[in-house]
Amino acid sequence: MENILKKTILYLVIVFISLSVLIPLSYLVTISFSSQIEVNDYPKKMLPSLYHNIAIKWDAENQNYIVMRENNEGIFKELYISSKYDKIRDYMKTQLNIDMTTERIEKDFNVAKDTGEIVEYKYYKSFFNNYIKFFTVFSGAEKALINSIKAALITILISMSIGGAVGYALARTSIKKKEAIRIGSLIVRMFPMVSISVPMAVLLVRYGLFDSMLGLAIVYSIPNIGLTAAITRSIFIGVSKEYEEASLVFGATEAQTFRKITFPLVLPAFAASSMYAFITAWNDTAVSLLLTNKNETLALLIYKSIGGASSIHYAASGAIVLILPALVFTFLLKNYITQMWG
Amino acid sequence: MSYLKLENVKKVYNNKVTAVDNFNLEIEKGEFIAFLGPSGCGKTTTLRMIAGLESVTHGDITLEGKSIVGLTPRERGISMIFQSYAVWPHMTVYENVAYALKLRKLKKADIDEVVQDVAKTTDIVQYLNRYPSQLSGGQRQRVAVARAIAVKPKLFLMDEPLSNLDAKLRVSMRTDLKRIHQNVKSTSIFVTHDQSEALSLADRIVVMNHGVIEQIGTANEIYHESETMFIAKFIGSPASNFFVVNVILEDGEVYLVHDDFKVQFNGQEKDVLIKNYLDKSVVLSIRPENFTVNKGGFIKAKAKIIEPQGSHIIINTDIGGEEIKIVSDLLELESGENILLGFNDKVLLFDSETEKRIK
Ligand SMILES: Nc1ncnc2c1ncn2[C@@H]1O[C@H](COP(=O)(O)OP(=O)(O)OP(=O)(O)O)[C@@H](O)[C@H]1O
Ligand SMILES: [Mg+2]
Repeated sequence: MENILKKTILYLVIVFISLSVLIPLSYLVTISFSSQIEVNDYPKKMLPSLYHNIAIKWDAENQNYIVMRENNEGIFKELYISSKYDKIRDYMKTQLNIDMTTERIEKDFNVAKDTGEIVEYKYYKSFFNNYIKFFTVFSGAEKALINSIKAALITILISMSIGGAVGYALARTSIKKKEAIRIGSLIVRMFPMVSISVPMAVLLVRYGLFDSMLGLAIVYSIPNIGLTAAITRSIFIGVSKEYEEASLVFGATEAQTFRKITFPLVLPAFAASSMYAFITAWNDTAVSLLLTNKNETLALLIYKSIGGASSIHYAASGAIVLILPALVFTFLLKNYITQMWG
Repeated sequence: MSYLKLENVKKVYNNKVTAVDNFNLEIEKGEFIAFLGPSGCGKTTTLRMIAGLESVTHGDITLEGKSIVGLTPRERGISMIFQSYAVWPHMTVYENVAYALKLRKLKKADIDEVVQDVAKTTDIVQYLNRYPSQLSGGQRQRVAVARAIAVKPKLFLMDEPLSNLDAKLRVSMRTDLKRIHQNVKSTSIFVTHDQSEALSLADRIVVMNHGVIEQIGTANEIYHESETMFIAKFIGSPASNFFVVNVILEDGEVYLVHDDFKVQFNGQEKDVLIKNYLDKSVVLSIRPENFTVNKGGFIKAKAKIIEPQGSHIIINTDIGGEEIKIVSDLLELESGENILLGFNDKVLLFDSETEKRIK
C-alpha cells in the first residue's frame, strides 16, 4: 500500500518535471515553425501546422481580391485586400510563410474572379522559412554560430588539457598540498562567471583578447578546469596501476602504454567533462555580453533578438538552432559514457 | 649455472621501510618455485623487482647469466599474472591475448595461430570475442594465464593468482596451472600465502617472513625438516605443537623433561644436545600426526574436543596448560575420554633463543 503511494508520488514528480521541460520546449518548436499570423493566433496550436486553408473572394465593386484564412476555430477571417498579384505574393511570403510564384497566384485567384464565387485552396507552408530567415534577417547569425562553435571547442581544449593534467597529478603523483589544490579548484566554481568577467575584461583588453573567442574561452574554462580535474582525478585513481604495469611487462613502452591502455580507459571521464565545458560555453550569454563587442556568440545574438517582439518566431528558430547541437553532443557522449561505464 | 639468480637483493621503500633483505635464490630452468609467507612479508615486492616494476635498492638479479637490474620491464622477456589479473577491460579477450604479440610486430596470421593455440590450452576459445566484464572470475583468471603464456616468456611470474577465487574453483585452477606448466615447461615463480597451494604446486618452496628467507626446500623438507620455529608454526594445518623441555643427562642417556612427561631421546641430535644444551631448555616440536594415541604412551591427557574430519579426527587436548592438537584415526573416540599419548621419533628440536632447528 505504502509502496503504491510512494510510486504514485514518484511518477507524479517525474511527470511534472518532464512536462515542465517539454511544454515550453514544444511551444518553442511550434513557434519556430509558425508564420507571423500564427504567432498571434489564439488559441494556439500544440503542433506546428503544415499548411494554411486560404479562401479568396473577388470584390467586384472595389476591384479587389479579399484573402481569408481559416483560423484554429475553423472560421475564415479576412486577412488582406489587394488587386496586385506581386503584393499578394509578398504578403503570403512574409506573413503566412507561403512561397508562391506570381503566375501561380494569378492563375489561382483568377478562378475566384471568373466564377465570382469564393474559392478555397490548401497552400503548404515553406516549412523551414523561419530558419532560413533567421540567418538572413539577423545578419550576424552565421558568424555567431561559428563563434559559438569556436568558443566551445577552445573551452573544451583548455579545460581538458589543464584540468586533465591536474587530475592526473592529483591521482598519480606525490605532489604536496593535494587536498588544498583539489578543494581550491572546485571552490572557483562557486563564483558566478559574471563576477569574474568584470576584472577579466580589464585583463583581456590589456592582452588584446577582448572581443575574441580565445578570451571568452579562457573565462569559460575557469570553472571547468576544477570540475575536469575532479572528474578525471577519480578516474585516474580508478584505473588500477596494474593495467599499466601489465602493459609494460608485456612489452610496451611508457608512451605506448599511455596511448593504448591509460588513455582509452580514462576517455569516458574526458568525454563527460567536455560535455560540461561545452554546455558552459554554448549556453552563456552574460559573460559574452560583457566580454565581446562585434564578435557575439549565437546564444547572445538570440538573447538580443528576443527583444524585438515582431520577430519572435525567427528568434524561436534561432533558439532551436542553439539547442540542437547541445542536444546531439550530449546524447552522443551520454551513449558513449554509459557504454563504457555500464 | 643457474637460470635465474638473486644475490643479496634488498629493497627499501622511501628510505624507511625495508621490505626485502638479504634475499639469495637460484632457480633452474623449468622449475616451479613458490614464494610462501604471511601478508606483508615482501613476496610481491620481490616479484616486482624481478619483473622490473620496482627498483632494486641493493644486490643483483641475473637471468640467463646476464644482469637484468638496469633493464626496463619490456626488455626482460618476463610475463606476469597480477593479483587483480589486470585484464584490460576495454579490449576483448582476443585483443588482450594478442596485445603483446602485436607489440612484437608479428604477422596477423601468426598472431591468430598463437592466440587460438593458447586459448585452447587455457580453455577460453568460446570467450575470445567477449569483454572481460562479461566473464566470471575464473574465466578472467584463465585469460590472464593465456595472455602470459602467449609470449613464450623466459620467466613466468604469478602473484597470488588464485586468491580471488572460491575454494572449489581454486583447487581446480590449481590443477590447471600445474598442467599448463607441464605443457609449456616455463620457469615459474608463484606467490601465495596459502600453504596448500604452495605444497601442491611447487618443486621448491621459498618461505619468507619479515622480508627475509626462512627456508628454501621441497614440500617434504619444509614440512618435516623445518629450519625455524616460524616454519613449524606456519606450515601444516593444524600447525605443529611445541613443548619447552629441559635437557638432562642420566646414566649416559639424554632425557627431555617436561612437567607432564619425561622421555629418553635417541635422535641424531643427541650429540649436539650433550655438547651444547645440557641442563638448558629447548623447544620440542611435534607434528599433530606424529603422536600415538592409546598405543602405549607416557603422557596422560583428556580428549577435550573432538573435530571429526571424515577420514581422521583432530583431538584437542591440553598438556601442561598448552593447547595441543593431535591427528588420529581412532574415529570412535569420544570427547571427555582419557587418553594415553606418546610420539614417534619424527620430532624437531629448536633453540629457544634463536628459534633455529638444532641439528
Ligand atoms: N610502495 C610502497 N611503499 C612503501 N612501502 C611498501 C610499498 N609496497 C609495499 N610496501 C611495504 O613492504 C612490505 C612488503 O610488501 P609486499 O607487498 O611485498 O607484501 P606481500 O608479501 O606481497 O603481502 P601480501 O601477501 O599481503 O600481498 C610491507 O610491509 C608493505 O607495507
Ligand atoms: Mg602481495
